[in-house]
Amino acid sequence: MADAAAWLARLQRADVSERDGLEFEAWLAAAPAHKTAYRRTLAMWHEFESCTDEVLTELTTQARHETLRRTPTRRGWMVGAGGAALAAALAVAVVPGLVTEPAAQTFATGKGERRKITLADGSMIDLNAETSLSVRLTRSAREVTLADGQAIFDVTHDPARPFTVAAAGRIVRVVGTRFDVRSRQGELAVTVAGGKVRVAPATSTAPGRAFLLTPGQRLEVDRAGVEQLKAVDPEETLGWRIGRLVYRGEPLANVVADLNRQFEHQIEISDPELGKMPITGVIVVDDQAAVMARLTLMLPIRSVPSQRGLLLLRK
Amino acid sequence: MAPSGPSRKAADDGALVQAFFEKRESLLLFLASRTRCMATAEDLIQDLYLKLAAMDAGTDVRAPSALLYRMAANLMIDHVRSTQRSSRRAGQWRMETRALLSGEDIVDEPAADEVVVAKERVRQLAEAVAALPPQMGRAFRLHKLEGMSQAETAQAMGVSVKMIEQHIQAAIRNLSQRLRT
Repeated sequence: MADAAAWLARLQRADVSERDGLEFEAWLAAAPAHKTAYRRTLAMWHEFESCTDEVLTELTTQARHETLRRTPTRRGWMVGAGGAALAAALAVAVVPGLVTEPAAQTFATGKGERRKITLADGSMIDLNAETSLSVRLTRSAREVTLADGQAIFDVTHDPARPFTVAAAGRIVRVVGTRFDVRSRQGELAVTVAGGKVRVAPATSTAPGRAFLLTPGQRLEVDRAGVEQLKAVDPEETLGWRIGRLVYRGEPLANVVADLNRQFEHQIEISDPELGKMPITGVIVVDDQAAVMARLTLMLPIRSVPSQRGLLLLRK
Repeated sequence: MAPSGPSRKAADDGALVQAFFEKRESLLLFLASRTRCMATAEDLIQDLYLKLAAMDAGTDVRAPSALLYRMAANLMIDHVRSTQRSSRRAGQWRMETRALLSGEDIVDEPAADEVVVAKERVRQLAEAVAALPPQMGRAFRLHKLEGMSQAETAQAMGVSVKMIEQHIQAAIRNLSQRLRT
């Protein structure tokens, strides 16, 4: 005999039809208790719907605690990646590994280079210029170490294999989502475009607290470990993938540092005060000469040739 | 509450509209099986009403019930298609969900803490899922939490679709009992 649970499950069929509807209606009408039971079951169903990601994160956390309790001496998986400034993107195995442990693969991009890689699980990673990261896929985990740089992660759902990114002493943990991690000179920024992302200190004794980020949130951790949670438009942060750098009040020095990762001719700022000038705007990264021309039109600056490349001066 | 049609008198209503008002609650509960909350189901039933109110009043409807449920099933499938894949993981939907969650528990708290406040209930829900028998728990997780269809879940687990429906059914029964407040 069918009950509320049976009906709710049946109505989840992909090809649910009028026949299901008519029979459902007949069942509802057969006894007042049916409607009460169905409504109660539905409330539970909707409650799960309102926090699927939180529950998934919690399940993953619980499972991890189980694992840690069972194997307290589990080998750390963070491996140092190879040279950061390789001229071209390449994939090389840097850790031969044990027979049972798959080796980590390292991917790196050079100056002005962006690269999209697809992992065996279908997840995709966009690497910004001068970025180095290593990936290790095992049966129970998907582990990325971002040595230096910036990357956008499109993670496929696989609850059995949590996806983690280790960067700047933190662990970013997800089930399936899209987010950007930027780790430069010890500073970390994690921006979430979809799903939920957990950022926690890499070890339980390390300073800092855990954050659960939702779309539109960015967690910034500076060199001193000070955390700041901001509301952002994730598409702006992720814009570099399509060659657009979006800034809101970013110091000119940081903008220049970004451009110097994109172009061969290095830009220098003569005056530290000039470097603090806040920049707001969109920079389309195409040709360096064009970019510089637009910048000098937009800002009270001019550029002159220098030994290394270009020198920025006040107008 | 029944939506009011544009200056339409009950006597003028066709069999279809009459049947709609009689069956409104059943139709709503039918639709709610696939929406994320009752409010969305209300939106869908409004859509259903608008669709059938727009139909020719003279249309000869021999089986109004069947037609209503056919329209409702189509609406439901379209709704699932448009929300499940794209916006399930997209920002807007999540933000709404968060507002919903926090609305019950707290007011005027910083965004970062919302999760912490609702956490106790989330922990209860997760524990209830973790306590399910392995296969049942896996089916529930993939289908309900990861948003896979019953067919995709069946493929992922290497069992039949029918088996998935049975797992889900048992999981619902188990969770309802465990989480009853």
